[in-house]
Amino acid sequence: MTAPLLSVKNLTIDYIGEEKDFRAVDNVSFDVAPGEVFGLAGESGCGKSTIAFAISRLHKPPALIRRESSILLNGRNVLDLDDKGLRDFRWREVAMVFQSAMNSLNPVLRIEQQFYDVLKTHKGMNRTQARDRTAEMLKLVDIAPDRMRDYPHQFSGGMRQRIVIAICLALDPRLVVMDEPTTALDVVVQREILQRINELRRSLGFAVLFITHDLGLMVQFCDRIGIMLAGKLVEQNTAEAIYGSPQHDYTKQLWASFPSLHGGVLL
Amino acid sequence: MAFLLRRLCFYLAAFLAAATINFFLPRLMPGDPVQIMFSSAGAELPPESLQALKLTFGFVDGPLWQQYLTYLGSIFSGDLGRSIKYFPLPVTTVLGNALIWTVGLMGTATIVSFTLGTFLGILAAWRRGSLFDVIVSVGAIFATSVPAVVTSLIVVFFFGFTLNWFPTGYAADPALDPAFTLQYLGSVLYHGILPMLTLCTVLTGGFAVTMRNNMINLLGEDYIIMARAKGLSDSHVMLWYAARNALLPTVSSLAIAIGTILGGSLVTEVVFNYPGLGNILYQAILARDYPVIQGQLLIMTATMLVANFIVDVSYVLLDPRLKRA
Amino acid sequence: MKTQPFGLIRNRKALVGVAIIAFILLVAIAAPLLTPYDPGARVGRPHQAPSLAHWLGTTRIGQDVFTRLIYGARTSLAVGFGAGLLITLVGTALGILAGYRGGKADEVISFFTNMVLVVPNLPLLLVLAAFIGQASPWVIALILGGTSWAWGARVTRAETLSVKQKDYVKSAEMMGEPRWRIMTFEIFPNLISIVGINFIGSVIFAIITQATLEFLGLGDPKVVSWGTMLYAAQKASALSVGAWWDILTPCFALAFLGIGLSLLNFAVDEIANPRLRTGNRLGRWSALIRSGEGRL
Repeated sequence: MTAPLLSVKNLTIDYIGEEKDFRAVDNVSFDVAPGEVFGLAGESGCGKSTIAFAISRLHKPPALIRRESSILLNGRNVLDLDDKGLRDFRWREVAMVFQSAMNSLNPVLRIEQQFYDVLKTHKGMNRTQARDRTAEMLKLVDIAPDRMRDYPHQFSGGMRQRIVIAICLALDPRLVVMDEPTTALDVVVQREILQRINELRRSLGFAVLFITHDLGLMVQFCDRIGIMLAGKLVEQNTAEAIYGSPQHDYTKQLWASFPSLHGGVLL
Repeated sequence: MAFLLRRLCFYLAAFLAAATINFFLPRLMPGDPVQIMFSSAGAELPPESLQALKLTFGFVDGPLWQQYLTYLGSIFSGDLGRSIKYFPLPVTTVLGNALIWTVGLMGTATIVSFTLGTFLGILAAWRRGSLFDVIVSVGAIFATSVPAVVTSLIVVFFFGFTLNWFPTGYAADPALDPAFTLQYLGSVLYHGILPMLTLCTVLTGGFAVTMRNNMINLLGEDYIIMARAKGLSDSHVMLWYAARNALLPTVSSLAIAIGTILGGSLVTEVVFNYPGLGNILYQAILARDYPVIQGQLLIMTATMLVANFIVDVSYVLLDPRLKRA
Repeated sequence: MKTQPFGLIRNRKALVGVAIIAFILLVAIAAPLLTPYDPGARVGRPHQAPSLAHWLGTTRIGQDVFTRLIYGARTSLAVGFGAGLLITLVGTALGILAGYRGGKADEVISFFTNMVLVVPNLPLLLVLAAFIGQASPWVIALILGGTSWAWGARVTRAETLSVKQKDYVKSAEMMGEPRWRIMTFEIFPNLISIVGINFIGSVIFAIITQATLEFLGLGDPKVVSWGTMLYAAQKASALSVGAWWDILTPCFALAFLGIGLSLLNFAVDEIANPRLRTGNRLGRWSALIRSGEGRL
């Protein structure tokens, strides 16, 4: 394997309570290669979203990332960044798609504005330049560029999620973290979005950290998969191996709880 | 726009309700309603004026509905009768002059305290748990839980009577002619400071807490987290993502607060002997000048409805989801 | 949202609030033991400054201010809690009815609720009180109950709409429980924090409004309450003649009671919605950050 793009090492995250702590992520290590799709699977509350948040350092107190942890992106430890460095790093290097398609866009700002604030902050673009870039990005996800003047509520759930993806790609990030990106959508739209992400990934070359509780979906979409249980990464392997020959008991249980999958066809 | 039209119809109904209350109250009291309404006039009122007043208030020979329609007729033709205390001045003149002062006082105080309170609330929510948050929250508890009448009395006692910094009565120096001169306007400002200070003390805390709580309820939303993930500056996320959205429920709670603001403003005027509606009303209550007392309910209701309508319009302007494409 | 039965006890604001209210209540109950005077009697010279004989001075007509203060607490508390209870009862009943029954009942109730909300409360009360004449505290409590329930009704209705969708309500419906039973035993208990906030808010409102109405001269001047104390003092121009004790005493009493109730109100609010808490609960977290055990 080539030098990893993202390298998470000994990541441990606690929620500090008044009396005792809750360990949400327990000594997790994994790598994501450039252009790779890495999946994190596990039931809700197992700590997978906590990892996603840590990569962009979005946690707020009382979350605490323990001293021994490191998150390297291109060899640089994200946890060492100062405020300014962190602001520059966010979105330019790691962009993120959040769980709920309905709520990721600011309901009172035009779509155009939500592209513009990224493009202005990171690239110093003016309105006209930003509009061109916005149009280009919207075309990538099959949304008519003239709709950039609309507000989020004027789009369907699937369209909103595609807009979020377009905003994610506006700065050509090398890693896109997707935290349950399609859970709120119906199955047809879900499939359409994943296909689109895959095409874009092939043409633009970004890597994806894909987080879901839906192991079936994950096997179709990811190159490699890590299985999480109660904050620990209990197994990681290629998608084929996770599907064909799961090692850990928990992975087997997960599969057993699934209705039979009609031949794990990769996209 | 359909939404605003519907609101307008509703306001008309609410105004009618206030008029209906006015109509039925004297008739529901034990005794002769005419006697009750105009008892304070004594023998001073010339008989033909009394007759005219009776007509205005619907005391005509005929069934109740006819009386009611007569009364509504006078209201909608702008005739609220004549004040008994200030006879022969029409109620509309007495209240109209006072209304200007009340609206000026109330309007300025609302704008100042809403702006200030909202900003304090934004900052407190953004730094939740900090010392600043504690100071704002606790300060708000103190300021909002003290009745306006108490705050006014305390303010007038310290700044007016004890320190003698500001006048304790009138809207301007009575020796000056009301005109748009610098001197007169300066005097108006000088006389308005204490009532303003009182109203702002009473109101700011409430707005701050409302904004703080609305904002805290929003901070977990995905679009706020995404805004942070986008690498936007803290102040940008705070203002354009969090506060901008939290403003919506805050503005709609402003509509409910208007009644309180109005009440507070009435009381403050009485304490500061400020020539607004509150003071006129106070005098009218002492003199049992019922035409003025009834008239003020209509004028206040109308003021409240106009203020509500302004809130409705700003809500529509603030929330793109209410605009029709 | 976890319910914390001991939340109120552990909340500092609630403790202080309850202590203030309990103190005033005790003083009001024990009034005859605390003062040798009669609240209505002239027991000194007019407008005497505070002294050992008259701790808080005397009024314009020589009544003892301290005596009037502690007897007045009885009226103010009784009207406040009485009217508060009435307002909450009406508001909660209408809110649950509108929210649960829906349809025509909801339309009618909601229309009236919204109507009452836009007719300004104080001017309406003033008109009512003016026609009634010198209103006794109980009449004031009654008209407050009749005119001030709208806010509570609206909030309760909104909450009922969400509780109504819960499984236990659905299953009670399936089992054919009568509607009044569902409203009383399934829905009402789940609205308790809203009802609590509404009640305390209504008590604050009733105390403030009663004092305001009496201050404006619409109360019965023979009744001893904090509002009539304000009225008498203002009428006697207590401030301009320098008899500050006459007017500031009921002022501070009202402020004190108001603060006590508000603290309680905020505490209930915070317990119902823990995100609103102010106190710093991050002591351990901050210590760990400082010691370099971890970071964000």
